[in-house]
Amino acid sequence: MVEIKNLTKKYGKHLAVDNISFTVKKGEILGFLGPNGAGKSTTMNILTGYLSATSGEVSVDGFNVLDNPVEAKKKIGYLPEQPPLYMDMTVWEYLDFVYDLKGVKEKREEHITKICDTVKITHVKDRLISNLSKGYKQRVGLAQAMIGNPEVLILDEPTVGLDPKQIIEIRSVIKQLGREHTVILSSHILQEVNALCERVIIINKGKLVASDTPESLAKSISNVNKFQVRIAGEERKVLDTLSPIKGIKYLKSLGRKEANSIDFILEAEPDTDVRIPMFYALAEAKLPILSLETTELTLEDIFLEVTKGQGGMVFEETQEDEVEFVSQKATKEETSEEAATPENETEEGAEK
Amino acid sequence: MIAIYKRELKAYFKTPIGYIFLSAFIFFASLLFVLINLQGNSTDLSPLFSNVSLIFVFVIPVLTMRLFSEERKSKTDQLLLTAPVRITDIVFGKYLAAATVLLVGVLVTMLFVPIMELYGTPLIPQTVIGYLGLFLMGLFFVAIGMFMSSITESQVIAAVSTLGIIFFLWVFGGLNIRFVEVLTGPVSFLGTALDWLMNFISIQNRMYDFTLGTLNVVPVFYFVSLAGLFVFLTIRVIERRRWK
Repeated sequence: MVEIKNLTKKYGKHLAVDNISFTVKKGEILGFLGPNGAGKSTTMNILTGYLSATSGEVSVDGFNVLDNPVEAKKKIGYLPEQPPLYMDMTVWEYLDFVYDLKGVKEKREEHITKICDTVKITHVKDRLISNLSKGYKQRVGLAQAMIGNPEVLILDEPTVGLDPKQIIEIRSVIKQLGREHTVILSSHILQEVNALCERVIIINKGKLVASDTPESLAKSISNVNKFQVRIAGEERKVLDTLSPIKGIKYLKSLGRKEANSIDFILEAEPDTDVRIPMFYALAEAKLPILSLETTELTLEDIFLEVTKGQGGMVFEETQEDEVEFVSQKATKEETSEEAATPENETEEGAEK
Repeated sequence: MIAIYKRELKAYFKTPIGYIFLSAFIFFASLLFVLINLQGNSTDLSPLFSNVSLIFVFVIPVLTMRLFSEERKSKTDQLLLTAPVRITDIVFGKYLAAATVLLVGVLVTMLFVPIMELYGTPLIPQTVIGYLGLFLMGLFFVAIGMFMSSITESQVIAAVSTLGIIFFLWVFGGLNIRFVEVLTGPVSFLGTALDWLMNFISIQNRMYDFTLGTLNVVPVFYFVSLAGLFVFLTIRVIERRRWK
């Protein structure tokens, strides 16, 4: 449905997108993942014909965006990072304008009403866009992309800046849209991509670094042994006891989660089991292990793994984030996934 | 194109811009009409036309300043440029909307003609051709303003630079002869050629052609082609930006 070949974009001397190629099949939901400034928006802007590539080709349903822009654009609904809304119009006037602009053939009233219902903006349709909250503006932006029922929806960070409830709502709308449309979705939030997408493309510094399903991406780098341990005792003592053990690559205290105990995150060298030596060492030092659990590799880990060493982030900092995220994920494991997601999300937002 | 034209035209009257433009233009034009024609007891509108053109210098930047710069600033240009429409349609839609507001202003000032009928007999063909000239000149200025608006995100910069350019073009013709003589001496080929060129470029001289009462091809072509040039440049600027 969407085909990208050797796409390169230079802003002056700065290389924003570096020789990216991928295809998106019909009906697929593709996640486009990368840190801020990785080239996600640039790629999407090229896909939609807002920018032109320095070299390379983009075609949508066989129509080249450069040679056949009008035909290609007819197939695309685009929600840019900042929704392109006219603040001096009401929601209905705006959607009506977009309907005319796209030259839609379907029945006007019916079509716009249906979209308003899907994204739940019917009750604000007569209000001025400038008076709407951010969440509603985002929805109007999404409605705009859906007008004319384009086969491909390109959504650039659709949940950024929304509150947890709105995020869940927008995600369910996107999931619903994914049944009938091809969706390309960019995000720097991993859980989002994990929850919505069938396939993930990770880009960093303009380069494509990974492309697979979320599950098999996790598998491909799963030789990392990672545990979270809760040990009763003093932090210093535990660290002293554990640090001589061979095979422990990484050890960090997470602080007190339960009275008189400390939680640690621990990573072992690949193909070594440090649990047994760890048990004996701690037993000898009279430091009982209260709990020990392995942590599943999350998209976050994959993400850090594949973007690591490319100078995308400061390593120390990312480790910190990683640890925090993992601990939270682990403690929230009992609660439903739905409830855990927004929690993590707000934290993501707060970090920004 | 029609969708963009309609939206743009509505936007003029949802924001104060359309009202500011029309009220300022009509007020000053009427003031001049009272001073020149009613108090001067004259049915000849030609001095009025050349003065009204000076009003254009100050009000047209207001009319055109937001056309593209606002879209870029609020990122709504992403909607237009990713919609299945050609850039040419976008530019023409906007240009025609501004031209329509301009036309409304010019049409209102045509009320001067029946007012004069009450007191005397104005020369109708001469007047109508004068109004046509005024409108065509306005179209040229609007094209300049739209072009300036397309190259900046700031409405203020768009307005001020438009004003500067139009004003420069407007006074240019008045300055020419002396300057050229100082530079090249009283009689020289270069001087004559420059003189002719500056005369030709002079907006006031071309506007004057219209007030003579005969419809000439040259001044019509002058304004229409220059307007067309700036509309074309606007399209090019927007197309070019994608490649940056």
